[in-house]
Amino acid sequence: MPATTASSNPLLEVQHLTKSYRAVTALSDVSFAVGRGEVVGLIGPNGAGKTTLFECLAGLLPRDSGVVTAEARPIAPGSSQLFYVPDGIAPWPAETVRWALDYAIGFFGGSAADRTGVVRGLGLEAVLDRTIGTLSKGQRKRAVLAVGLLMPHPLLVIDEPFDGLDLRQTREVAAVLRAQTSSHRTMLLSIHQIPDAARVCDRFILLSAGRVCGAGTLAELTAQAASRAALAGEQIDPGRATLEEVFLALT
Amino acid sequence: MASPSWWIMAGLTGPLVGLSFVSSVRSYAEVSAGAGGGCGAVCDPLIGIWAPTFSAYELVAVFLLPFVAIRLMSGDRQSGALKLEAQHPLRPLARVAAKAVALLGGWIGINMAGVVAIGLWRLYGGSVSAPEIATVAAGQLLNAGVTVAIALAAAAVADHPSTAAIATLGATVGAWAIDFVAAIQGGRWQRLADVTPSAMVARFQHGLVETSVTLTAVAGIVAGLVIAAVWLRLGATVGHRARLSAATLAVGAVVVLGATMARGSWDVSEGRINSFPENDEVALRRLAAPLSIEVHLAPEDPRRIELQRSALAKLERATPHVRVTYVAKSASGIYESSDPGYGEIWYELAGRRTMSRTVTDEGVLETIFALGGVSPAPDPEMAFPGHPLAARPAGAAAIFYGLWPGAVALAGLFALRGRTA
Repeated sequence: MPATTASSNPLLEVQHLTKSYRAVTALSDVSFAVGRGEVVGLIGPNGAGKTTLFECLAGLLPRDSGVVTAEARPIAPGSSQLFYVPDGIAPWPAETVRWALDYAIGFFGGSAADRTGVVRGLGLEAVLDRTIGTLSKGQRKRAVLAVGLLMPHPLLVIDEPFDGLDLRQTREVAAVLRAQTSSHRTMLLSIHQIPDAARVCDRFILLSAGRVCGAGTLAELTAQAASRAALAGEQIDPGRATLEEVFLALT
Repeated sequence: MASPSWWIMAGLTGPLVGLSFVSSVRSYAEVSAGAGGGCGAVCDPLIGIWAPTFSAYELVAVFLLPFVAIRLMSGDRQSGALKLEAQHPLRPLARVAAKAVALLGGWIGINMAGVVAIGLWRLYGGSVSAPEIATVAAGQLLNAGVTVAIALAAAAVADHPSTAAIATLGATVGAWAIDFVAAIQGGRWQRLADVTPSAMVARFQHGLVETSVTLTAVAGIVAGLVIAAVWLRLGATVGHRARLSAATLAVGAVVVLGATMARGSWDVSEGRINSFPENDEVALRRLAAPLSIEVHLAPEDPRRIELQRSALAKLERATPHVRVTYVAKSASGIYESSDPGYGEIWYELAGRRTMSRTVTDEGVLETIFALGGVSPAPDPEMAFPGHPLAARPAGAAAIFYGLWPGAVALAGLFALRGRTA
């Protein structure tokens, strides 16, 4: 699948990335680009390779082949261009949320000026003085998101930002993430719940079984899906197709 | 240091140190009372009080400290904090070194129990030699450093903390096994046993600071920390990390080999228990030719053990031109004892040879001086008189078994609650 760029000067460019675990190919010839100020959603079912892709981008997993560049420079762990927020972690469980945010600001050079807004936007005021290990799944997710949002890196790669959140919290977090683009932050989010992705993302990359099956805006993906459906003798109404239907058609 | 595991280690250290201190003070009192006024080296606080008291820290280093270190390293991996921290520009080696410094800082903190013991001994009227205590403590600190390095490396390599714990304990048991085999077979095993942590600590506990031992310990610490840092590089393949680790171990082995050849040692014991009398050492250094000694005793023979640990160890420190070889057909010597020649110790100097069967310091020196035709000047100083003290360990039990654990428990609760205040 050729890389689809939103601009001629993408912030992140991935070319022919491949990763295997012994006999299992987790990622096969993955290529895409992310433009500045975009919120791009990486959509795929469980086991599609989303987390593997993100950890390869962040340099936390060695890739077998491929090139990953940010602003045309190769990315290495510790890069100032990209910060990866993993899913399902409870870092520093004996420390408070307040400590974690102080740590993000002090150790990583995070933005102290944004702290109040991030805390309020993610609804963390009530849990600031609780230890991370005692938080619920949703509270922990929001605390870790807060750490990520305070990072100074221009590109945030977030794995499942809405996992563990209820509907109201999902909408609130989506609003916070969208608001980040106004300060020129670029985001690459992995989301397996398609309605959530449609709510927050500008463009989408469809990943299935380690391969990119489609990339573009909803309109572009719908057109791709419609032409593929036509070849198969089926019909997709471009004016009414949902992202779910487009995803199912392309994968 | 803020972790519950450190507080548990701190709480247990007091009673362990107290047990050793109380029993050593009682034994020392018995020996002092029985020996009368001039008990010499028998009433040496270094051997009678500080070595046994601080040996409690060896137990702590083997059975408690590794788990504190493993928790510190593995906790980051298991909680996911490692995935965040690995994205910081700080090099993995710097991160590992920071953890090691924090752990050794915590180690120094639990040495307060030893400081309490020193204070009590002074209160009882005992003699305190700062160089001796500093040397004993330094040996325990180096031992702790080696333990921390092994534990951090194991925790970085292993997927699960329990695997790291087993690996670390395995390293300790392996070192003990080497000591055991060396005691039976000697030879190459003895050379290997000379660089185990317990052998290293034993030297410091006797007030002996050796360049070779210190360098070996430092090399081991650095190698362990480097291996830990290598395995924290999550973006490197397992094969690459394994090759780097193997290279680190190879370089470490070469450095250790070189370190064992380093000469340079200092006997800080008040009673010069690791050295011959001053004038005897001056006379030994006047020997012009190299001295060869051939020992016909089996490794397990107590006479050989005494000869090696006392006279020959002092001789090798006093003069650089000594070569010792051992001739034995078996490990125990039981079936050799009837052989003519068994038990003989042959000395060769400048083409002259003589034989002796004595293994005491005085006997060995007498033989060498006679062979070399030198005589030491009479020693104007009196022999070390010792510091007899028949004192009861008053209050020590209450402090170490009651006050210390209670204070640590309160402080720990306060510190851990303070996080969420």
